[in-house]
Formats: sequence, structure tokens, C-alpha cells
Amino acid sequence: MTSHAEPSLTFSEDELLGSRKYDEPLIAGGVRCHGGFDEDGRYHSPRTLHRTPAISAWQDQLLRSGHDVIEISRALMPPQYPNVEQAKLLLRHGVRDPMVRSLTIISIVEGFGAVIRDVRVPELAELIVEPIDGTALSHLRHGLFEAHARDEAGYEDEGGHKQMWEAARDLALEHPKIPGDVLMRLMGRRSRAPKRERPFPQLDEKLERMLAMMAQVLVIEVFAEGTFQWGIDVLSDPEVSAEPQAAGDMVRYIQSDESPHVEYLRTALSEVRARTLRTVDGKQIAGCKVVDGLLHDMLHNLTRNRPREQREDVRESMIAAMQDVANPTSLEEEYESLASAWTAPAQTGFEPSSAA
Amino acid sequence: MKPWTRIRRSALVARTVARLWLIYKVPVYTRRLLGRPALKGPELDPTHERAAKVVLATALAMRGVIIKSCQFIATRSDVFPPAFIEELKQLHDAVPAKPFAVVKETIEQELGRPIPEVFAALDEQPVAAASLAQVHLGRLHDGREVAVKVQYPDIEEIIQLDIRNMKRACRVYERFEPQPLPLMPLLNEMTKHIGFELDFLREADSADRVRELFKDDDGVKVPEIHREWSTRRVLVMEKVGGMKITDAAALKAAGIDPADVVQDLMAVWVRMIMGAGFFQADPHPGNLFVTKDRQLVLLDFGLSKELPEGFGLGIFELMFSMMTRSEAAMIRAFQELGFRTKTGDTSHFVQIARRMLDRSETGRFEGEFTEEMTDEMFDAVREDPLVAIPSDFVLVGRSFGMLSGIAHTLGARANVLQAMGGG
Repeated sequence: MTSHAEPSLTFSEDELLGSRKYDEPLIAGGVRCHGGFDEDGRYHSPRTLHRTPAISAWQDQLLRSGHDVIEISRALMPPQYPNVEQAKLLLRHGVRDPMVRSLTIISIVEGFGAVIRDVRVPELAELIVEPIDGTALSHLRHGLFEAHARDEAGYEDEGGHKQMWEAARDLALEHPKIPGDVLMRLMGRRSRAPKRERPFPQLDEKLERMLAMMAQVLVIEVFAEGTFQWGIDVLSDPEVSAEPQAAGDMVRYIQSDESPHVEYLRTALSEVRARTLRTVDGKQIAGCKVVDGLLHDMLHNLTRNRPREQREDVRESMIAAMQDVANPTSLEEEYESLASAWTAPAQTGFEPSSAA
Repeated sequence: MKPWTRIRRSALVARTVARLWLIYKVPVYTRRLLGRPALKGPELDPTHERAAKVVLATALAMRGVIIKSCQFIATRSDVFPPAFIEELKQLHDAVPAKPFAVVKETIEQELGRPIPEVFAALDEQPVAAASLAQVHLGRLHDGREVAVKVQYPDIEEIIQLDIRNMKRACRVYERFEPQPLPLMPLLNEMTKHIGFELDFLREADSADRVRELFKDDDGVKVPEIHREWSTRRVLVMEKVGGMKITDAAALKAAGIDPADVVQDLMAVWVRMIMGAGFFQADPHPGNLFVTKDRQLVLLDFGLSKELPEGFGLGIFELMFSMMTRSEAAMIRAFQELGFRTKTGDTSHFVQIARRMLDRSETGRFEGEFTEEMTDEMFDAVREDPLVAIPSDFVLVGRSFGMLSGIAHTLGARANVLQAMGGG
């Protein structure tokens, strides 16, 4: 790390990918995973030796210059379906496939996180009016995206969140058989890809695509907080989990690893928000207009129809799975009685009007 | 079948085997006499090319199962040299049609009535001809436009005879060749596939199954089968038109972005292979059309394949291991998919994956099985006889390779992970 009196704002890729030394590695499901434990047995996330202080330093710099760091309201987070009580009810009655399916899908989706390393990052210094030296933005393709990808999917023979979720599932549910329809469920209903309409056609296409991807991943990461809590609550319950401590801890480790993802994404997007972008026709557009516009659309879509559609899709398979128990009707009634009501808040907090 | 036909076909097979023996063995013995080392690797390319031309000529003369076998060979680049693949893949499109009188008899025999009683019109000129059947357009009396696929007469008998002859030739080859290619298992597998393809009612079932899979998706069209007029040897189906999928100019003229078509195409095949475990295993451009409202038309379900349970997840795990460069996961995924080495040395799997990755555009796996990558994999398997490749994987790999070829023709990328929703 470059040494300065002020906290450093510039880091090499190796620094951002660097981990502390562990006294004991994390082994999950027989696979050596990232992260590890110190001599007190405390878990430390991977690649955070310099990444965590770096993100803090970039955030401080932003705040000192009078700008905010984006905050997505947790009230926008749709509840997990099935909820904790419903999931436990099913497991208590031996209906395991829906839970196995859900946990497997979560592990696969985590693994997909690796595609963030393939995001094409344009020459940001040419597309942003103000300088970007010493910001999270200038480190996206020099360590931040790569660290994120490795955390989610693992790297070489060190497992990541995909393998850790699989381990949590296998610990709690004793290496269950994976339902054959898991990938079909993951893909959901198929319909023709809609004709792509660019929200900001005046922007460089690569820049627009990168910002949209970052906004989407940020929202997913924030919403995943609900998934982690759900996973911990269900898998730590000795009544339904074979290894409540180990399975719950595994999800807690994942949860702590995810924190830098949320933080670097909100920092980098906030940095764009505080700047001015050049358009392809030589004009300029306020970064806040672009970032708020993207976040608003994303949150609006993810909180309006999507939770209901996903719920309907999943519910169908839940009901089908219940038919094998002794009294399916009674189980179905109890299951439905435990449902959580949820209405999406009217505002996303990034309404176009607020994007001055 | 006339006795003369039987003798002629057997003689043609015997003559071809003799010519192949001469092409391969005369240089070996000559070089040995001259004290020169035997030809190896790329030095053998001209020999393979000559041999492939002989096989191609025999196929065009005999048609039937020989053409089918050659088409099958053209799909097995894991076993046969590239010269064979290049030469014999011509047979996918270049099969000469039979005169209408020949197929008319089959239609009337199969439907049990004269053609005019079923069809208000039936074109005498076929729109397509393949190794086992040809297709004519027509119209039913209620006005519905149809495509009629008619099997060639005597084809089943011819096939049985040809397969017997080929098995004989195979046994001779295995007896005299010190390191023979594993032809007999391939022949057995091909015999099974041809048996399926000869049963048009089975093809109709496969079409129905894929149509059912996409019943809620108005972006996919699988022609309806007119069961009342279909038999094991005649298939009457809804006529569906469209632009050829690789005709980028026509697509653009219709206001369709070719990149969207590629995305649709990949989503459909990924859904069949990874999701449903049942897929149309011959997605060449002749079987794919796009309508003006961007509906993807899927034709020809003769080569459809049911995959073992968990195979889709296995493919995903393999892709994932390549994406993360996890060698332990690569080995696990290859083994779960049914790959085997004779010695049990699993490092071959890692070598295969590395060679595939080296052939990708970025040196990394980003979700696309390009033709170059699948070709490299088949080369690696062929060059290292210790590795056995499961036939299901060959068909899946070949299908992804074909889809990638279509995507490249349209200037887009065929990303499997993206089609699953991961990008």
C-alpha cells in the first residue's frame, strides 16, 4: 500500500485481493473455502485486509466533499417466501424438497455472481467530467469486481459462497437428493426477451450497461440480507436442522462476506451520483439523474409484480410437495395461515423528481 | 428388396472397405520397406482426406443408412479426424431427392387411400431431402397448409442390410488393425438412433413434448402434427414459414435485432437441455426459422434426446468449475457427467478443460461454448485415447457448438449462463 499521512485512496489489485493470515482455514463440506479463523476462533472474511479500509476511506472522502452515500430502504425488501415459520413447518412434516430446492437455487445464484468480473468497464476518466483518481470507481476493474467474483463463486480450488451455501444445506439436511427440476425452477417462466430499450441512450452504451449492472447487483445484495436472516433462522433451529450450529454459522460467514459488496457498490454509485457524465453527443448529464433513474426503475420492478409472480411460482411447487404427507389439506391450511402479508412501499426513494 | 440390389450393396461396402485398406495400409508397408518412420498426426491429413472422399462417394451412391452413418460420423469429432468431419458434413444438406412417383406409393400405402382423398394439393417437387425421407408441401381439404415428410420405400430393409455389412466390415477392421478406433460401440449407438428416427410417430411424440414445454411461450413455435394422417412412415404437420435463422439481412429488414434472436435461441435450448433434460439435438440452421413477429420455429425432432436425471446440473457444474478454474471441481464435474479414463488418472480432465479455455476468446470461460472450444475438446479426447466421452455429452456439446456457430453468423454471442439468467 502506498504510504501517506492521509489514509490511502489508491490500492493495487493485489492489495484489494489480499487476505489476512488465518490460524485455521474454513472447510465447508470437505471443500477448502475462502476466509478463515483467527486464534480466538473468530471468522474473518476473505480479501478484506485492504478492501475494507479502502472502502471506508473512499466513503469518508465522499462525505467530506458534501455528498451522501446511497441508502436503499430495507422496507423495500420483499419478505422471503416461504417465510421462516412456513419453511420450518414443512421441514417438520418431512416436506424437504422445497427447502433443498431453495437452498440449491440460492447457491447457484451466488455462483452467478462471478459474471461481475466480465462486466466491460469503459474508460471512465474520459466519460466522467470530474477526476476519479483515488475513488472506488477507479478500482472497479483493478480489484473490486474481481474480489466480488471470487467471493461469490470461489477461485481455483478455494470455494466461495456457492460452495458455502451447499455446505449449509448439506449440514442441515444431511446431504439431501437435489430435485431434478432445480434448474427449471431457477429459470422460471420463459418469455421472449423484451425488446431492449435503453434508459439513457445519450450515454456511452458500455457505461450505461455497467451502471445498470451495478445498480441491479446492489439491489440484489441488499435484498439478500433478508435471505441470510431467513437461512440463519431456519438452519439454526435444532428441531429441523441436523447440524444447527454449523449450518447457521456457515450462513453467518456468508453474510459477513457480503458486507464489502454492498459497501463498494453503494460507494462507487454514489461517486457517479456526485459527478457529471459526458454524453455521446458532446453534452453532459448529472450523474444523480442516471443513478437515481436506474435505481428507481430497478426497485420499482423488483417490488411491484416480481414478488407476487415468484411467490405464485414457488407456491405451486410447495403445494405439490405437500401432497405426499398424511393429511395434505390440514398442512396446506396451516401453511397458508403462517403467510406474511407485505405491501411494497409507494416510494422507492429514487423517484425521478428527487433526481435534480 | 431385389437379390441384385442386395448383392450390389454388399459389393459396394466390400469395395469401399478394400479401398480404405489400400489407402491406409499401402503407405505403411511402403514406408516400412524403405526404412522410413510411419506417418503420424497432421502428416496423415492427406490420407484421411482421400479416405473421406471415398466414403463420401460410397454414401452418395448407396444413400440410406450409409448417408446416415456419414452424418453421424460428421458429428463425432471426438473420434474421427477433422478431414472426415469436413468432407462428410456436406451430407447434411446435399442429399439428392427421389422422384415423386416413388414417394407417392408410400403415402398411399401408409394412408390406405389415394392422395387426392387426403390432400387437396400436394407439390411433386420436394422442399427438402434427407437420408431417410423427403418433404413435400401440400394442402388438406379443409384448407390447412401442411408439410408432408415421407420415408423412402424399402429404407428399413436397406438399413438392416447395410448395418449388417458395416458390422462385418467393422469386425474385419478390428481384427487387422492393431489400435482400432472404437467403431462397434458407435455403430450400435447409431443403429439405436436410426431406429428412433425411422419411427415418425416417435418423432411426433418428441415434437409434442417440446411444444408442451413451451406451451405458455408465444415466442416458440413447434408445428402441430396432424395425427389422423400420420403413420410410422408418413408425417403430416402444420406448414410453418419464416426467415432462415442465419439470414441477418432478412431479420434486420423485418425490424428484428439478430442479437435478440440469439438470446431467444439460447434460452430455448438451455431450457430444454439444462431444465427439461429433453432436447432437439440437431439445431442446424436448416431446422430453425424466425417469423416476422420474432417467433422461433423449431423443426425436425427425429434426433431428440432424453438426458439422464441430473445431467443439466452436471453441465452447469462443469461450466462453473471452468469459470472459477477450480481443478478439483472440474474433475468432479467430468466424472459426474460420465467421463472416464482407462487408467483412473483424472489429470486428463484438467488438461481437456485447460485446452478448451485456451481456445476461448479471452482465455477465460464466460459462459459460451464456442465451436472452437468444443472442437478443441473433441480433439483433446481423440488425441488421448485414454479418455472416454459419454455420448449424451457429445450431443449436448455439439448442439451448443452449433448454436454458437449460428450466434457468430448473426454477430452475437451464445452465452449459456446468461440464458439461464446469470448475466
